[in-house]
Amino acid sequence: MSGRMVRVAAIEVVAIGAMTVATLTAQSRKEYHYNVGPKAVVSVNNPYGAISVKPSSGNTVNIIAVLRSDKVEVDNGQNGNHIEIQSHLLAGADVDSGRVDYEITVPADASVALHSSTGPLHAEKLHGDVTLEGAGATVDVRDISDAHVHVKTLNGPVTLTNVQDGHVEVDSLSGDVTLDRVTGPLVQVVSTSGRINYNGDFGSSGEYRLTSHSGDIEATVPENTSVDVSARSVRGEVHDDVPLQPKTHSWFPTEGGRAFIGTMGRASASSTVVLRSFSGKIQLRKRTANAK
Amino acid sequence: MNCVELQQSLLEVEDGGSAEQRAHLKSCTECSTLLAELELITSSARELCAAADPSPRVWNSIEIALRQEGLIRPQRPNRSLIPSSGSRWSVARWLVPAAALLLLSVGLYIRQHSQPVQVASNVVRPANPEVVSDAAVAGLNDDDLLQEVSDQGPALRAQYADNLKSANEFIQDAKNEVAANPNDEDARRSLAEAYQQKAMLFELAIDRSLQ
Repeated sequence: MSGRMVRVAAIEVVAIGAMTVATLTAQSRKEYHYNVGPKAVVSVNNPYGAISVKPSSGNTVNIIAVLRSDKVEVDNGQNGNHIEIQSHLLAGADVDSGRVDYEITVPADASVALHSSTGPLHAEKLHGDVTLEGAGATVDVRDISDAHVHVKTLNGPVTLTNVQDGHVEVDSLSGDVTLDRVTGPLVQVVSTSGRINYNGDFGSSGEYRLTSHSGDIEATVPENTSVDVSARSVRGEVHDDVPLQPKTHSWFPTEGGRAFIGTMGRASASSTVVLRSFSGKIQLRKRTANAK
Repeated sequence: MNCVELQQSLLEVEDGGSAEQRAHLKSCTECSTLLAELELITSSARELCAAADPSPRVWNSIEIALRQEGLIRPQRPNRSLIPSSGSRWSVARWLVPAAALLLLSVGLYIRQHSQPVQVASNVVRPANPEVVSDAAVAGLNDDDLLQEVSDQGPALRAQYADNLKSANEFIQDAKNEVAANPNDEDARRSLAEAYQQKAMLFELAIDRSLQ
């Protein structure tokens, strides 16, 4: 290696080191702790960055915030049982320098409202209401029971896993939506162009409504599922491989390949399932024995 | 009769009121102004209910009024990435009423088209030939929305443009479906959902603009 190449390499190493030191110097970590009562409310508005919420063991809300630079601050406050966290962008902040990543623990019965344009957003093992909003944020919600779960995204993908007895409303313009073992009295998903996937048994007496404009809808159910189901795609295909007892009346024409309506399993203890699309393909399929 | 007593008995003023009420209204500017405003609201509400189909002129008038009030502003050049709080809220000022107008139009449109119609089931009617754009219905201007987000980069503008186009197609298809199957409750719900998708797009644009 020539002397010139060594000098160039040395300069590069020094430059990279300097940038790393500068980044580490600018990045900071802050912690906040609050004592709260039952059914606390925690809202976090974070324009850029991740928010993860998990249950805490006591009656405390613990917040760890990692700030990417000094161009963003964390404003926080407590008003009674309401904790409010806001990432405050300063002049010159952008999607990188304005980023804050939050790790938060809350009492399991707390309600949380999380907002981030970029995300990702994550909430798990809670039984308070969960509201998540983010344009491009990836949303992951799991192990929630007896709660309202409301999600809004522009194109961020949404995954809900093991949500029981939920009042679930998901709206996404073009993000794909995946529901795995999600049940409750009301489960409603609307997506304009994103795909909607449902995997589960639709509970016992809920109302399930999955609507898309151009995105495909696929529901995979175990063999012992009991549902009243109607499916219609105005211009797309509709397929089912489950045995359905046909209904006699429907508002829409049930022409072959475009719609079906019927009952699967025991009609007396069934949920109502409406699958509706305009140009997307709709599939209702039976889960195979070796599938999850 | 004092002001409190008069305001507690407002319902009885409808037919001209008692002599006592009339005497108080004659002497009290505050109560007479309140009554006049309530009557204006009532009559406006009646007109709104009676309107079979608000013409585009109605929405234009609303838009003009909003502009005169400064609630809808023309495009502003050279906004910085992190605007001042004043300018941030001025963005929201037009987006919020625009979203509100959109939702109002949802209610009016669905109300107009939700009367059950006696038709034989399974009869497919031709799609409604009358195509009304959302701009005509709600006084919305999609270009204004795109202009706001375009200040944050061409990629974001393209993203919103794609979603806006899809949402408008969703609305149009849902309208056609309601026209073809007027007794289909699910079709009407789909139309409401389509409008909500577009309203959500406005909401998310508001969030972007406020950052």
